[in-house]
Amino acid sequence: MQMNSHRLQKKEQKLAMILLLPSFVILFLIAFYPLFTVFSTSLTDKKFASSRTVRFVGMDNYQKLLSMKVAELEPLLDASGKQMIDTTTQKPAYQDPIDILPREPYRYKAVSQFDFFGRHYVFAATDPEFIQSIGDTIVFTVLSVLLETILGMVIALVMIKNFPGRGGLRVAMLVPWAIPTAVSSRMWEWMFASTRVGVINVICQWFGWTNGQFPFLTAESTQVWAMIAIDVWKTTPFMALLLMAGLQTIPPGIYEAAKIDGCNAVQRFWKMTMPLVKDTLLVALVFRTLDALRVFDLFQIVFAQKRYSMASFAYYQLIDNKMMGYSSAASVVIFFIILLFIIIYTRISGGVANEK
Amino acid sequence: MNRVVKVVIGTLLVGCASIGIFANGSSEEAASGSQTQEQGKIKLVVAAGAVGQELQLAKDGAAEYMKTHPDIEVECLETPDLTTDRLGLYLQYFEAKSSAVDLYQIDVIWPGDIAEHLLDLNQYGGADYAKDHFPAIVKNNTVDGKLVAMPWFTDAGLLYYRTDLLKKYGYDAPPSTWKELDEMAKKVQAGERAAGNQDFWGFVWQGNSYEGLTCDALEWINSNGGGSIVESNGKISIDNDKAAEAIAMAAGWVGTISPEGVLGFGEEDARNMFQAGNALFMRNWPYAYALGNSDDSVIKGKFDVAPLPAGASGHGAAALGGWQLACSKYSKHPKEATDLLFYLTGYEQQKRRAIVGSYNPTIKALYQDKDVLKATPFFGSLYDVFTQAVARPSTVTAPRYAEVSKVFFTEVHDVLSKKVSAEKAVKNISLDIADVIGK
Repeated sequence: MQMNSHRLQKKEQKLAMILLLPSFVILFLIAFYPLFTVFSTSLTDKKFASSRTVRFVGMDNYQKLLSMKVAELEPLLDASGKQMIDTTTQKPAYQDPIDILPREPYRYKAVSQFDFFGRHYVFAATDPEFIQSIGDTIVFTVLSVLLETILGMVIALVMIKNFPGRGGLRVAMLVPWAIPTAVSSRMWEWMFASTRVGVINVICQWFGWTNGQFPFLTAESTQVWAMIAIDVWKTTPFMALLLMAGLQTIPPGIYEAAKIDGCNAVQRFWKMTMPLVKDTLLVALVFRTLDALRVFDLFQIVFAQKRYSMASFAYYQLIDNKMMGYSSAASVVIFFIILLFIIIYTRISGGVANEK
Repeated sequence: MNRVVKVVIGTLLVGCASIGIFANGSSEEAASGSQTQEQGKIKLVVAAGAVGQELQLAKDGAAEYMKTHPDIEVECLETPDLTTDRLGLYLQYFEAKSSAVDLYQIDVIWPGDIAEHLLDLNQYGGADYAKDHFPAIVKNNTVDGKLVAMPWFTDAGLLYYRTDLLKKYGYDAPPSTWKELDEMAKKVQAGERAAGNQDFWGFVWQGNSYEGLTCDALEWINSNGGGSIVESNGKISIDNDKAAEAIAMAAGWVGTISPEGVLGFGEEDARNMFQAGNALFMRNWPYAYALGNSDDSVIKGKFDVAPLPAGASGHGAAALGGWQLACSKYSKHPKEATDLLFYLTGYEQQKRRAIVGSYNPTIKALYQDKDVLKATPFFGSLYDVFTQAVARPSTVTAPRYAEVSKVFFTEVHDVLSKKVSAEKAVKNISLDIADVIGK
């Protein structure tokens, strides 16, 4: 009898494997095969749309992408031994990084300079643009997802309440999310225009913050903030929608019970709503974070080659520079960065499960 | 917990797949174009631009060709407006060695980069046709002795100026040097602002960090005797005092005679400001002429065009732009395709395009054609500007011109936004270009 059930179990397992096989084949074809191709291309100097023979270059592409260096800059002294002052910036003068940074096999370019314990250093990289694109994308991701979550939660808490006109408001709320990014990016690009043609410059001038000529999209200090503003405007409705779905699963009865027991609104939110909506929130966060890390169209349309997200950097290397090997290497690095975020999230969610 | 893990894994897989497909190009898709032969007819496909009237003009040209060639059917394919997007599309066809498109409309800076995918037109009698066209463009389209594209229409940087305002402030001619331009702009700007137009500026141009800035900066540098970034013999010439002086001069305009926002301007931003009557001078391409004289333009009849001012070299310089028509090496009907190519880029078609759409012809004789001059008078008076336009160093740095240009305009933009001195910038540009082209 026992033998029989064991055999039956084995048979069923076998059947299950056979039934799963097509899924595995499809998974292999659509996910692992392209990923493997990208990885193998990243070890070559393949050019896009070129008949030139492809050479294996090993880790060369990665070295060029990721080499970084910190070097000390000596102060420039005048004849009397005192440090000279830069005439244009009115700051103490130091060696020009160009003179001391290595040029072989790849030229290191200065990214930024900083002081540390009274000494002056330069931070340099062989591809400052890629390093910057990683930094920008991560800053963009963390800040925009944070703002979207907070605003989304606020909106969801309002929208879940019953009030006249709620249906219409819900539809209106979704409009920014329904507009294709290509369109909304162009729209915001005009709103951020560097003259009084742009409405944001007009508003800022009313408040006396700018002279109505501020170049939001070309000034480095505001570029990433502008991106965050556009993304928050566009994606908060999505976040609100997901959180609203989560809130709707909470039975209203428990709130009434809590009220009777004397819980105030703040306590109800932190002790009841948050724990109950946590799973939904986590799923929403994972979605948004991965989406934001892969941001492409927004940066590509508004900035073209002025400033990159990680994905638009890879695009530019492939299409404009035709460096398929290099672009593939960048894609692999992006993949690992995204993987890192996924690991962090699974750890967090694992922790949540253990608490329960 | 389980749900989260599932979602995470699912998203991860989708993410991998999209990155993979993305970096790998979609060569299979591009190859699926058809080359059908219906009722013995040969079908030719032209990838033409769709900016302004371009597509309609190409369709009309094709229709006329089909009237005299009943055995051939021509289809015009609409392609993206932005140069970079269009190149991306073309490269996918080339990567797949696709015969779906026979003729490609290509930018003046591309011949060197994509020459290996194009037919040598000299083998189809191209030299005979080419001798009527501007030699500088024909030279630009000749890669390793092969004529890979025929000029279709050309572009050159021009100075637009307000005739009414110059007259009002006592000037009887447009500026002939940058210094004069600066003085005139300051005076008129101060006067117009005092008269109540707070949004008025002296000079608008293309200062955004993109290919357009490469054109503008090349004009300042070349007119100042600073060479053309990389010379035709491959020597990197940008690291010189005259070049640095020219870039520093332009940096001095920002915030004085040009708005700070000019650092984010492209062609259309400059044109919108000029056409709204808020600028005295504008640097732009010829296309702005027809639009500035359209009925809803507030400056209709109040402006004219002149060659760009001169610097230390004593003469002005205009950057060469424009589009060519090339035949794909993977075309299944090279003979018929090249015949269509020579027809579309020929005298009659260029004449029609010049009159209807004010596209600059590349055939010398058309600049004396009465009908053309009637439609666009400045074509005749600025003939020299078009013939002597300075080419960007695209052929000599091929196939890496895009990177060279990027290095150049990024660093120039840093000078304009006062982040780095012009002397240091030209040094950086020189080193970086050497890095890119391996010299």
